[in-house]
Amino acid sequence: MTVLQVSPTQARHGAGWHGAPAVQLQGLTKHFAQRRSFRDMLVPRPRTPRVAAVDEVSFEVAAGEVFGLLGPNGAGKTTIFRMLSTMILPDRGSAVVGGFDVVTQSANVRRILAAVPADERSLHWRLSARENLLLFAALHRVPQSEASARVQELLGTVGLGTAGNKLVAAFSSGMRQRLLIARALLARPRILLLDEPTRALDPLSAQEFRRFLRREIVEHRRCTIVLATHNTEEAFGFCDRVAVLDRGRVLATGATTDLAARFGEERYRLLTTDPDHPALSALERCGLLRSLCRSQSSSPDWMIVECAISGDPARSAQVLKRLVESGVPVARLERVDTSLADLITRIIGAAPKSVAHA
Amino acid sequence: MRECLALLRAAWLTETSYRLNMLFSLASLIFVVVPLYFVARALQPTMASSIASQSQQYFAFVLIGSATLTLISASASALPNAVASAIGRGTLEAFLSTPTHPALLLGGMSAYGVLWAVVRAAILVAAGAVLGVRIAWANAPAILALLALLIVCYAAFGLIASAMLLCFRTTGPLLSGLLSLSALLGGVYYPTHVIPSWIQQLSNALPLTYGLRALRQSALLGVPVVRLGHDMAMLAGFAVFLLLIGTLTVAAALRFAKRAGTLSQY
Repeated sequence: MTVLQVSPTQARHGAGWHGAPAVQLQGLTKHFAQRRSFRDMLVPRPRTPRVAAVDEVSFEVAAGEVFGLLGPNGAGKTTIFRMLSTMILPDRGSAVVGGFDVVTQSANVRRILAAVPADERSLHWRLSARENLLLFAALHRVPQSEASARVQELLGTVGLGTAGNKLVAAFSSGMRQRLLIARALLARPRILLLDEPTRALDPLSAQEFRRFLRREIVEHRRCTIVLATHNTEEAFGFCDRVAVLDRGRVLATGATTDLAARFGEERYRLLTTDPDHPALSALERCGLLRSLCRSQSSSPDWMIVECAISGDPARSAQVLKRLVESGVPVARLERVDTSLADLITRIIGAAPKSVAHA
Repeated sequence: MRECLALLRAAWLTETSYRLNMLFSLASLIFVVVPLYFVARALQPTMASSIASQSQQYFAFVLIGSATLTLISASASALPNAVASAIGRGTLEAFLSTPTHPALLLGGMSAYGVLWAVVRAAILVAAGAVLGVRIAWANAPAILALLALLIVCYAAFGLIASAMLLCFRTTGPLLSGLLSLSALLGGVYYPTHVIPSWIQQLSNALPLTYGLRALRQSALLGVPVVRLGHDMAMLAGFAVFLLLIGTLTVAAALRFAKRAGTLSQY
C-alpha cells in the first residue's frame, strides 16, 4: 500500500537527520479476534473472525522529533502505542525502538521507552504522589540513593512540588496527568509515548502543558515524543510531523502544515448584512466561491457566510473586490484555519484514490 | 528484591488507608478462636484416639488446621486477587511496562496478601497458646520450613489461577474447588485416616495432607525432623512440580494476553 508522503520538511526531520531513527515501524500489523457469542463458544467456527486493528503500518520517527498520530477513534493509535510499549505482540512486521526490536528485545525497549496512558486509573489513588513515584522508581531500578532526590526533582518539574504528599485521589485530572508524566520520566527514557496527553486539561493548562513538554522534555531532556491526539493545536502547533491513520492504515505522513496545504481547503468567513445578495450566487456560479454556508452572527443584523475560495490570497482579494464593487455590505472577510477534523476527513476521503494510483 | 519490597510497601500503605477494615479483619479472629476452643473441648473425648498420632488436644489439632488453612487460602488467592485488582485499577500494564522481571512483579504483588495471612495465622496460634496450646518451639526451623513449602505449593496454584485470570478473566472453580477440597480432605478438622478409603486417594493428592500432618507432629508432639522425612519429601516434590507448572502456565498466559491484546482489559 502506498502512503501519501507530503513532506517537504521530511528531509529536515526524517531518519538520518539525527542519526538512526528513534522509532521505526515496518509493515506492522495486528489483528484482533472478534467477540464471540455464546453460540460460537458452543459450536466453534473453523476460524474466528479477526479484524485488523493495525494494518501494514510503516513510518519512522527521528530522534528528538515530536511525532503525532492522528485519526478517528479506532484508527489504531493506541494499539500501535501498546505494541511499541511491548504490551501487545504484533502479528506481522517489525517495530524497532532505539535500535531494539519490541518482540525479541522487549526488556531493552522497556528501559528506554516510557508510555503515558490516557487512563488515569493506572495511578495508585490511595497513595500520595511521592509514594506513587517512589514505587515506580524502585520498579525502574533507579538507585535507592538517588530515588528520593529524583522524585522531588520530577515533582518540581511537573509543577507538583508542593503537592507531593497529597493523596492522588484528591488530585485534579490535570495534576494526575502531570503525575503520569513524572512517573514516565523517572527512568529518564529516550522515547516518550503520550496517549492524548491533554484530553483532561482545560485549554490554558493544555497550552502550558505543551510548552512544558517542548521546553523540558524535548529541548532539555532531548526525548523523542510520539503522541496520539485529537487536538488541533497539538497537531498543528506542537508536532513536527504527523501520521494520519484510519482503520489501522497510515494514510499520510508529513508536517501538519504541509498536509493542510495539500488537503486543506481555503475557507473564509464573510460578515455581511445581505447574505442572499445576487453577487454571491454569481461568484459561486463562476467557481470563485464554493460550499457556501450561511449562519447568524452574534450581532443581530449581521450574518456569516462561510465559503471556500481556492487558490492563493490574490484570489480572495479578487473576490472581496468584486463583492464590494457589487454593493455587498462587507464588514469582514477572514480566513478560517483548517480544523483537524476537516483535515483528517479530507485525507481519509482522498485515501482510496491515492491507494488506487499506487 | 527491592522491587518486591516497594510493591509490598505500596500495598501496605494502601491497606492501612482502610484502617477500620484492618481492625475488623483482626478482631474477627476472636470469633474464630473462642468458639473453636469450646467446640473442641466438647469434642475432645470423641476425637482423642483418632488424633493421637498428631496431637493430644483436639483444640490444638484444629487450631493448627485452621491457622494453616488461613495461610494456604491466602497463598493461593493472593496473586489472583492482586492481578484482578491491578487489571481493574489499570496498574498491571504500568507494572509490566517497567524493566522489572514479571516474576519479581508477581512476587511483590502477592507478598502483602501472604504476609497478612501469616500475621493472622500467628495471632490465631498466639491466642491458642493463651488458651493452653503448647507449641514445641525447639522445632521452629522445621515448622518454618514446612510452612514455607506449603506456601510455595499453594502459591503455585495461585500462579495457575492467575494465568486463567489473564486468559479468561476468571479463575473458574479452580481456587474455590481446591480450597474446599483442602479443607475437607486435607486434615484440617479431622485426621485424613478417618475419611473413607475410596476418597483417601484424593486426599493423598493434596499437599496440605502431608504438610499439616508433619506440621502437627512437629509443632504439637515435638517429633524431630528426621522422622518427618516422607511428608517433607512429598511436600517438597509437590512444591517443585507445582511451581514449575505454575511458572510455565503464567508465562504462557502473559504471552497469550499480549498476543490477544487483552492484558489490561477487565
